[in-house]
Amino acid sequence: MKSIVKKTLIGMSVSAALMGTSLAQADIKIALAGPVSGPVAQYGDMQFIGAEMAIEQINKKGGVNGEKLVGIKYDDACDPKQAVAVANKIVNDDIKFVVGHLCSSSTQPATDIYEDEGIVMVTAASTNPDITLQGYQLIFRTIGLDSLQGPVAGRFVADSIKPKRMAVIHDKQQYGEGIATAVKKTVEESGVDVVMFEGITAGDKDFSALVAKLKRNNVDFVYYGGYHPELGLILRQSAELGLDAQFMGPEGVGNKDISAIAGEASEGLLVTLPPSFELDPKNKGLVDAFEKKNQDPSGPFVMPAYAAVQVMADSMKATGSTDAEEVAEYMHKASFTTPIGDVKYDEKGDLTSFNFVVYNWHADGTKSPAK
Amino acid sequence: MSESIYYFLQQIANGLTIGSTYALIAIGYTMVYGIIGMINFAHGEVYMIGTYVAFIALAGLSMLGIDNPFLLIGIALAVSIVVASAYGFSIERVAYRPLRSSKRLIALISAIGMSIFLQNYIRLAQGSRDIAMPSMIKGGFLFGSPEGSHIMISYMQVIIMVTTVLCMVGLTLFITRSRMGRACRACAQDIGMTNLLGINSNNVIAVTFIIGASLAAVAGMLLGLYYGVVNPYIGFIAGLKAFTAAVLGGIGSIPGAMLGGLILGVSESLTGGYLTAEYKDVVAFSLLILILLFMPQGILGKPEVEKI
Repeated sequence: MKSIVKKTLIGMSVSAALMGTSLAQADIKIALAGPVSGPVAQYGDMQFIGAEMAIEQINKKGGVNGEKLVGIKYDDACDPKQAVAVANKIVNDDIKFVVGHLCSSSTQPATDIYEDEGIVMVTAASTNPDITLQGYQLIFRTIGLDSLQGPVAGRFVADSIKPKRMAVIHDKQQYGEGIATAVKKTVEESGVDVVMFEGITAGDKDFSALVAKLKRNNVDFVYYGGYHPELGLILRQSAELGLDAQFMGPEGVGNKDISAIAGEASEGLLVTLPPSFELDPKNKGLVDAFEKKNQDPSGPFVMPAYAAVQVMADSMKATGSTDAEEVAEYMHKASFTTPIGDVKYDEKGDLTSFNFVVYNWHADGTKSPAK
Repeated sequence: MSESIYYFLQQIANGLTIGSTYALIAIGYTMVYGIIGMINFAHGEVYMIGTYVAFIALAGLSMLGIDNPFLLIGIALAVSIVVASAYGFSIERVAYRPLRSSKRLIALISAIGMSIFLQNYIRLAQGSRDIAMPSMIKGGFLFGSPEGSHIMISYMQVIIMVTTVLCMVGLTLFITRSRMGRACRACAQDIGMTNLLGINSNNVIAVTFIIGASLAAVAGMLLGLYYGVVNPYIGFIAGLKAFTAAVLGGIGSIPGAMLGGLILGVSESLTGGYLTAEYKDVVAFSLLILILLFMPQGILGKPEVEKI
């Protein structure tokens, strides 16, 4: 009997001690949610280095309202199930600010949890329009929407390429199918003939049946909605099986790994990407800071992630509060000067303006603006 | 020939390529099932490890300055077979042999555990990203007119099919002609009786695992070169497809595994070619359900006789 009492007492004092530490931390914690592992982890890196740089620079200038920002990484592996688990963990860890998630399919299920639990979330990468259509007050982005990106790609195809027989392929996921549908709609309005509209299975490795079908339909232009692991293999197998067509994809395919997978076949691929913020002369100092740490500032999500942290920090400073609702209310009203330009939000939490630019991708992993 | 026949033959060729590799992996499932009656769910991971080892060997060899592609591929294949066999042998020794006399379900759980362990161990050791490798063998055979309708079969596809046929012939000779092959067949019939007759069944089972792992390594190397990418998760889906092929052909039957692999590959390719690529898994697995409903023993399997 005595020992049970003793154990209970020890247990109670331990849990009291644990609670004490969580109360004692005065730092403002920001959760950085995105893929640390999984097939698209390189996009996660872009987001993490951008957000961490912002946190570091804000802390160097004295932090926010006298307190330091602390970034904590959470790995959702771009898996919707794991994203929900991560969101619940963030709630349990009593964090009120989130940068993330990355993949639209992960962001979507997590937003419900954040909105209900009073957590401000800013995604630097999720471009699916549905995410902000639910009338949320606490959900924002620092990137444009597929509904903007799709028409940019579609107009470019209709005006500059003028394909005779076009195919639109997607990976059946929220991001890929969403953007592919938007592209199809835009080009069809301009009178381009879309002869194939088909989904593939993400994670698949063999696309020889699809390539043979594209060849049979005499397709001369292919738009792919999805990520680079699949498009890389489609490009590679198209080159091997002698398909002579021009390919184009969204920013989800625009990173160096596609050149590693497809090799020479990635030369001349067209990609819509956010503009190269790192080339903006105003960001010179920031680019130098990245290069000093041996980090690459040219990834499409690096600067948006920096901006996401900055927007939240500026709002905390302006309101003098770390209350999620107050901060969000201020974000809806104010305008911010960030490395991605002037940021202003509409009532849905979307940016009022954001540009996408068409680039030519090269086999060495670099890009140049397309004419 | 009309254009549609060329298209049909092209899809058949694509299907046979992918089907050959399913068949190579399926052998590992079917042989192990034939002898000890358990499903080695870690087999897909051995295939994945085979691909990684081949990639590492290729990268290492080209750093040493060897640039003859056939020499490179030959040595890498040998290294990959040896390492994968060592894994196959160790998996059996560590995870299955101690449980052999226990219930089947326990060995099955051990197999699933092994699979998760291997996948995560490779993920930690090699990272979770796709590792890519440039194509080493380019070009192919073209039948028909290059401008009009034609069939294009890349050299890599030819290599995959030829290697598979060679492995299958070799395996069949081994099983039907050699002493060890006879011991394997004896174990498949009645393992207790084989022991009584003075054959060490532990050795036979170890050899079975080594053969299965070697063939999986061959498939891993071939598909690695063909697709040019590897990540720690490829073993799961490849293992599932190969297992389906083994069941389709009749689990326990080696010719059945070969046939099942080819049927699965061709049906996937035809679905992708004539319906839509979205439905290829749906069709492949519907085929499996239909065959199991009407021929529960698979196409070439023998009906299970309950041993008393």
